[in-house]
Amino acid sequence: MIAIRGVSHRILEIPDLLIPAGRVAVIGPNGGGKTTLLRLLAGIDLPVAGEILIDGLAPRSREVGWVGEQPEREIIFHRVSDEISSPLRFRNDPCPFVDERVKALTGELGIGELLGRETRDLSAGEKALVALAAALAAKPDILILDETDSNLDQESAGTVEGLIRGISCSHVLQATQRMELAARADHILFLERGRVLHSGNPTAVFAALTGTPFHPPSWGCR
Amino acid sequence: MRAILDDVIIRRGSFQLEASGTFSEGVHLVTGPVGSGKSTLALALEGALLPVAGRIGEEGIRSRILSLPFPEYHITGDTLAGEAASWGLLPASVLKTAGLSGRGGEDVLRCSQGELKRLVLSCILAWEWDLLILDEPYSSLDCAWKESFSRRLGERREGITIIFTHEDEILPRVDELWEIQAGRLVSLGRVPEAIRRWSRPPRYIRAALDKGIIPENITPGDVRDALCRTPG
Repeated sequence: MIAIRGVSHRILEIPDLLIPAGRVAVIGPNGGGKTTLLRLLAGIDLPVAGEILIDGLAPRSREVGWVGEQPEREIIFHRVSDEISSPLRFRNDPCPFVDERVKALTGELGIGELLGRETRDLSAGEKALVALAAALAAKPDILILDETDSNLDQESAGTVEGLIRGISCSHVLQATQRMELAARADHILFLERGRVLHSGNPTAVFAALTGTPFHPPSWGCR
Repeated sequence: MRAILDDVIIRRGSFQLEASGTFSEGVHLVTGPVGSGKSTLALALEGALLPVAGRIGEEGIRSRILSLPFPEYHITGDTLAGEAASWGLLPASVLKTAGLSGRGGEDVLRCSQGELKRLVLSCILAWEWDLLILDEPYSSLDCAWKESFSRRLGERREGITIIFTHEDEILPRVDELWEIQAGRLVSLGRVPEAIRRWSRPPRYIRAALDKGIIPENITPGDVRDALCRTPG
């Protein structure tokens, strides 16, 4: 469980919020506070006021994986294998352990054939998968995807979604503008103007959003 | 007014795209997966990329613009108001359209990607273009702005509008559908007949097609109306 109490930071004001474990979709208009919230949960920023606990510990005490909106701009290494292994190398894990972990992880994600490639030669979808693998390398307690699917097509976004379903990570938070994808999450947060206006399962949240653009198009007539 | 692709072959590195067809006045949607060649074709239609074979011809086109997928590539001003003014527009009016009223003095580099996209699209749509080419106009926009720009694009009655996108939830009303399949541009024809020929339609359109329902057009509203009209 993620517990947020009395948080005030930039546009964000969250008096009291509990976010259950599982796959959580974070939706809402641009500028509503989604990225601000995700940066606090990742421990990138500290709130000006209030407290965030992820399973009882502060975000900076947890292992966090992060993939942003434009994975290709976040990739820093030429070779895919170096990119994926970088979080482990940065913390000085032994080389045999790193090699074994990267091999196992890329096998699990079905992207083993990318390991020998150069990152600049990858398609946008492949870059997103490499960024996801790098985010998962250190076995994070919390995985955050900040509109990573914005520049992906339906198939690539579906591949990323399928991979996320298969991983063992207690908390996965994904900001997205794809309401069909959000509808398949365990829990949804809808943020607007810095406030969490709706928090609940997809049925409850989308019932409240009926008639707005933030509603799955295929739910129109059920 | 027409843009004509006559046995065109375009190359970028090892990638090759073949294209033939005519874009006449109206709204055209060109879809295809990431990496299929949408941006390559958009650049060629704008004239920024020359074909290695064939010919891109034009009739009656006096003005054109290509909206690039990443809005920062368009930016020349240092503030939001300065950017609007650089397009020869009154800043207050454009900023209002883009939902950025009162923020004219802000540094463009401090804006979110979505805010910049709204600003650039609003500047582009403030002018009339004979040939308007939009490469991924929906990326970085939230659902409300996707719907708002979709409405405006669907209302364009004059000129040729060509939208290249992989967007799969909020689409405008269009006249013709095109698809890039295995390195080749394929004309699917006019809507609604073209919808049944769409090999990779968005999920919400697929849901209607699976029930044997062909919506009048491709907006979520058209599909919703079609589904709700049909019993069962």
